[in-house]
Amino acid sequence: MSDPNETGPAAFDVRPVKRRIWQRLSLVWLVPLVALGISLWAAWQSYADRGTLITISFENAAGITPGETTIKYRDVTVGEVEDLEFSEGLTVVLVHARVDKVVAPFLDDDAQFWVVRPDVSVRGITGLETVLSGVFIEGNWDTEADVAQTQFTGLEQPNLTRANQRGTRVVLRADDGGSIAAGAPILHKGIEVGYLEKPELSFNGDQVLVSAFIESPYDRRITSSTRFWDTSGFSVSFGTGGVSLDVSSLASVIEGGIAFDTVVSGGRPIDDGHRFDIFQSEQAARESLFTDPNAEVLEVAVLFEQSVSGLSEGAEVRFQGIRIGEVSSLNAIVVGDASNAQVRLQAVLAIEPSRLGMAGNATAEDALALLSDFVTRGLRARMVTGNILAGTLFVELVEVPDALPAIVNLTSGEFPVIPTTESEISDVAATAEGLLARINALPVEELMDGAIDLMDSFERLANDEYTRATPAALVALLDESRALINSEDIQAIPGDLRNVIGDLDSLVTEANEVGLIADLDAAVATAGQAATNIEIATRNLPQITADIEALTTRANELELEALVASATASLNAIDGFLGTDDAVAFPAEANAALATMRALLDDVREGGAVENVNAALASANEAARAVEDAVSTLPALAARASELVDQTEAVVNSYSERSRFSAETLATLRDIQEASDAISSLARTIERNPNSLLIGR
Amino acid sequence: MITARDAGLVACQQCGQVHPLHAQVCKRCEGRLQSRDTESLQKVWAWLIAGMIAYIPANIYPMLLTSTLVERSESTIIGGVVELFEHGSWGIATIVFVASVMIPVGKFIAIMYLAISVQRHSSQNRHGRHKAYEVVEFIGRWSMIDVFVVAILSALVQLDTIATVNPGVAAISFALSVIFTMLSAQAFDSRLIWDADRTQQ
Repeated sequence: MSDPNETGPAAFDVRPVKRRIWQRLSLVWLVPLVALGISLWAAWQSYADRGTLITISFENAAGITPGETTIKYRDVTVGEVEDLEFSEGLTVVLVHARVDKVVAPFLDDDAQFWVVRPDVSVRGITGLETVLSGVFIEGNWDTEADVAQTQFTGLEQPNLTRANQRGTRVVLRADDGGSIAAGAPILHKGIEVGYLEKPELSFNGDQVLVSAFIESPYDRRITSSTRFWDTSGFSVSFGTGGVSLDVSSLASVIEGGIAFDTVVSGGRPIDDGHRFDIFQSEQAARESLFTDPNAEVLEVAVLFEQSVSGLSEGAEVRFQGIRIGEVSSLNAIVVGDASNAQVRLQAVLAIEPSRLGMAGNATAEDALALLSDFVTRGLRARMVTGNILAGTLFVELVEVPDALPAIVNLTSGEFPVIPTTESEISDVAATAEGLLARINALPVEELMDGAIDLMDSFERLANDEYTRATPAALVALLDESRALINSEDIQAIPGDLRNVIGDLDSLVTEANEVGLIADLDAAVATAGQAATNIEIATRNLPQITADIEALTTRANELELEALVASATASLNAIDGFLGTDDAVAFPAEANAALATMRALLDDVREGGAVENVNAALASANEAARAVEDAVSTLPALAARASELVDQTEAVVNSYSERSRFSAETLATLRDIQEASDAISSLARTIERNPNSLLIGR
Repeated sequence: MITARDAGLVACQQCGQVHPLHAQVCKRCEGRLQSRDTESLQKVWAWLIAGMIAYIPANIYPMLLTSTLVERSESTIIGGVVELFEHGSWGIATIVFVASVMIPVGKFIAIMYLAISVQRHSSQNRHGRHKAYEVVEFIGRWSMIDVFVVAILSALVQLDTIATVNPGVAAISFALSVIFTMLSAQAFDSRLIWDADRTQQ
């Protein structure tokens, strides 16, 4: 190396040429460049592939975890939840999520999101996979890219219909949502062809609206004349064929179900959102083919002052005999101010303009204008009897020629009010009602009491000592007669007769001159007097009989079986009376007495003795007088019977049909008649042949 | 202090055999002889920058993809450290933190310091800087501990649906970062530390 101390030329400052910077650059710089390039590319790729940020708002974020919960579309993961936060005021939970760029353009205003959770229902178990994996957000949108959006409102309930599912959506209306549940099947000829979505209350709150989706191709079966009805639960019907139990699918028993059918042809094809009514039963649905649920309806009110009993919701509204609508609701309202408040019964009529003969596109306003015009010309509403038997009424709009001027009241309440006129509730119905009212008002209780009283009177009469004593008295009389006849004096007569038998012939020859005949005449006259009395009594008997017959005629018209029971007791009493030993014994005793008398007289005749005949005749006279006395009580008995008959007659006066009671009464009366006849016959016999008392024939 | 270059000598970098300054090939190991690597600093910077670039995704992307029956989790390096720390595994958290964060970052800083000081012909603390260089070169390979853990777990835990562990993008990035920084450290010609005075003259 050079020594600085050495002499010589100074060393040249030899420096190499400074190379250009690119010449000095090492190839190794490519490494960081490549690394940088790859990094930038990766970063750009990552940025470019980054999904679109969307925000979904939910009521609550149950189970949603940032970074884990995915968004799925047709079970393919298309996004992931990145963040959760509350909205302003903590009203909803905002779920921020990124979705793939591929699907982002399709997220337009028809996109729907809901959280899939495990769900166990009658129709099956869904979302079971979320038990282990946690919930995920299911998205649904159609396959047409529209204006993409990033703000969505999540559904609380899973949407049953896929946005791209082919089919028709209709709106069903029902009065009661009790039998409708979301997801309930729609059946057509027993096949499940669709399902119901969540029922909602209509805007004015008087109906339940439920959206129903009918899958293609079954939706082609639906036309404007299709009818839907409720098939929930099961129905039991009794008919001539026996008991019929109709059960739809188990799911429809529990969840409810709707069936439809198109029972007549000629319906128009329908669009999405067509409205149908849900009928209570298939029968009701098939009977309702004349109403179009989509027709615009004019609602007017009618205020009735009288009772609307018999008028019901759904009752027809007729105009000149043609059905133009129905009664949609009935309620009571208060009209007038506080000091003069009155309750009126308001019937709201739903009138279909098309049925008033207006054009198909006529609005409710047009119909109201037409009705107002009619009202100024005398159109009035009234209630008319529809069904006489059921007493149902319908509302008729009728033109009253001389009606007081009136107009449709547009301002009084919720609905325009049509003036009313006198209702024409049919006489038949009124009569029927009146008849029923009168039957209801019949003093049955009093009648029963009266009947019972009557029977008591019968019974009392039958049990009356005096009545009972009558036959007894007769018996006693006959007993006395017999005793008389059996008395020693009488018994002595044959002996005496035998003693004087020798004198008899001479006495007989003298008899005509010695006044014996006169005595006989007197005796016979007395007997005749007795017979006359009997005849008088007997003459009353036909009167009794006539009365009884009249009574029987009336009684024939009776129909009151209820009385029979009470009557029976009384009749038994009467029977008892008539069957008393005394009464039964009466003829026997009489016969016995007569037989004794006959035997006596036989003895007399056989003995041929006429001794003491005067005494005997006097005794006979006495006996006849006793008979007369006895017979004289018969009119009193007859009067009593007549009175009894009168009472009976008065009671049964209002009845007019044959009955057991009357039959028994008749039988009883016949018994009485027979008893009377027997007495009459006895009396007649005595009258006809008073000598028989003497001669025993 | 006299250097080998001052003495007209050049030492083989591989086997240490000393040759005259003009010699170009080691007569013992046939290694290439070079008194000073003139492009050393360029290589250092290039590898260093590449390593630093690779270190960024290594921290952003997940290192491990763990799928179990009920959940799927991804963990980055820092996330894993924080998680371990929260679970109370202080020791393991410290090891992971030192191996995955402190050592790489320390290496970056150390290499940058060395390169800058050489470029500025600093003559201060030459022994200290040389020792630092030795430490950096020695410790560089231990940064690979993370990569090894990921590799072993991925190989062992493959139980289909029950539990699966897969390496994430960060594992590759981290490995690349470590490799680049090791190359950077190797590219550094430590003899330049001692040339500061000479070049200045």
